[in-house]
Order: sequence, then structure tokens, then C-alpha cells
Amino acid sequence: MTTTESASLEDGRLGRIAVIRLRPNEDLVGGIEAACREHGLRHAVVRSAVGSLVDAVLEAGGQTVSVSGPGIEILTLGGEVRSDADGLPLAELRGTIADSAAQVYGGRFRRDENPICITLELVLQEWLPA
Amino acid sequence: MRTLVQPGAPLQPRRLLEWAAPTPDLRVTLAAGQDLLLGLVAALAARSVSHAAVQVLSADIARMAYLTGQPDRSGERVATYGAPTWLEGPVTLLGGNGILGPGPDGDTLLHCHAVMVDAAGRLHGGHLPPGDCLLAAGGAAALVTPLREAAFAAAFDSETNYPLFQPRRL
Repeated sequence: MTTTESASLEDGRLGRIAVIRLRPNEDLVGGIEAACREHGLRHAVVRSAVGSLVDAVLEAGGQTVSVSGPGIEILTLGGEVRSDADGLPLAELRGTIADSAAQVYGGRFRRDENPICITLELVLQEWLPA
Repeated sequence: MRTLVQPGAPLQPRRLLEWAAPTPDLRVTLAAGQDLLLGLVAALAARSVSHAAVQVLSADIARMAYLTGQPDRSGERVATYGAPTWLEGPVTLLGGNGILGPGPDGDTLLHCHAVMVDAAGRLHGGHLPPGDCLLAAGGAAALVTPLREAAFAAAFDSETNYPLFQPRRL
């Protein structure tokens, strides 16, 4: 790890690939964190995700954006999982969604407020710090 | 957090995870005049890739349809797709995620959601049905992560009453 006043550089490489499904009513953020905890995945990046939400709550520009479903489509999902000092995986996820009227929203997904509707198909790739 | 009662009994475990082996990624570009999803499926089939995670990096689109979700009034499922929304180009795809695997009939299927901006600058997004996204002059580019040892395959899911991609050992 190299840390300067303005940046931090972590050497590492991409490792194993986790093929994940979350079933209905699992929280998007908490469910991904739980899957990582259950399978010993400490650090990871999102490679692809396709799914839907019952309702959605995003943070964007200092605002909280609440969108009512069901059947909200997750259009894009990006971000990473990092474990804290106690080894607890924390997911930082941002993305775009569309509601039934095809209105598009974007932002950071809040924990415990984004229940899966039908499914989440997710591929994470492990990040292995040197 | 609101949760919904699905038509079938809850299945366990609630979170499924299988490990796939690390493999080199593929960058795929598609020329104009073909369908985005069918073109990706065919290009990857030529390299014997039938299981993958896909990030659509860019696409210029001449004409396309997308679907959004809504409550299923029939009660057979908690949500379903509405009627397609058609867009005339030029449409610019801003980003998309996809999962490639064998569908319910065994044919390779790319399940893809994407966000787009239309000719008037309006944002759109939803599920892309295969065969309804004609690429324009700029074509498309995607970063593909082939999945080895474990991947997604479609199977009927009694809880949701849908055929869905499920993690499977290969």
C-alpha cells in the first residue's frame, strides 16, 4: 500500500469469481454482504448484475430518492465490497434503476431499503491485496 | 423495508454462491447492422463461450425496444413485464449489464438490462428483449468475463413461478 497526501495505491490482483443469486426479499446491500461473509469473500468488485427490486431507496446529491415498485429494474450496478478491520464485508454499491413508468434514477443504494423482487443475478470478482 | 409474498413457498438458502475459476477477459466489438444481444451471443459462441458475465461498455442504436417491470395483476407472480417501449435512433447506450447462460430451452440466452439516452436527450432503461436492438454505425463494445467451473443456467423457480438463472457447478 502506498499512501500520499492525495491518494492511496493498493497493489493486488483479481482472483476467484463468485456466481451469486439473491432470492426475493433479500436486501441488495445486506444480502451481498451476507453472501460474502458466509463464503469468506473479503474484498471484491462487481463484474455484472441483473435483477429487480420491490422498492428502491437511493442517495443522490445529498437527497434520498425513494422509488415505489414492485418490479423496479436494476439497469446497472457498480461498486465493491471491502472488509473492515474486523473482517466484516461492507458493500458500496451505486447504479441506475427504472420504475414501471420507465423513469430512470441513479445513486448509491442504501442498506436495508432495497429488497430483491424476483431475483438478483450477480458476479463478483475477488480482489486480493498483495 | 417492504417485502412481498411470492406465489410459491420460500426456498433455501436465500443466498446462493458458487465459485468460478479466474479466466482471461474478452473485449468484444460488434459492427453495425446486427442485433446487440444476438450479435454478442453469436460472437461469443464463435469462441465457445456460453457462460459469462457481460458489461456492455457502449452501443450506438438505430432502433430498439425495452421492457419495464410492473405488478402482475393476474396474481400468478408478484411482477411481470409491461408492453415494450420502442425508441427510434439515434439512441446511445450508456451502460448495461448482462448474464450469459443456457436459457429454459437450452439455447444460450443473454439476460441484459441497460440504460440509454434517446435522440431528444431523455433517459430510458429496462430489460432488453433479444432481437429488438439494431446497432447503428458506431456498433457496440463489451467486456466479457467467461465463467468456468461454475456459472448461471436457467431453471424453473417454484418460489417466483419464473424460469430464472441459478448458480450451478459446471
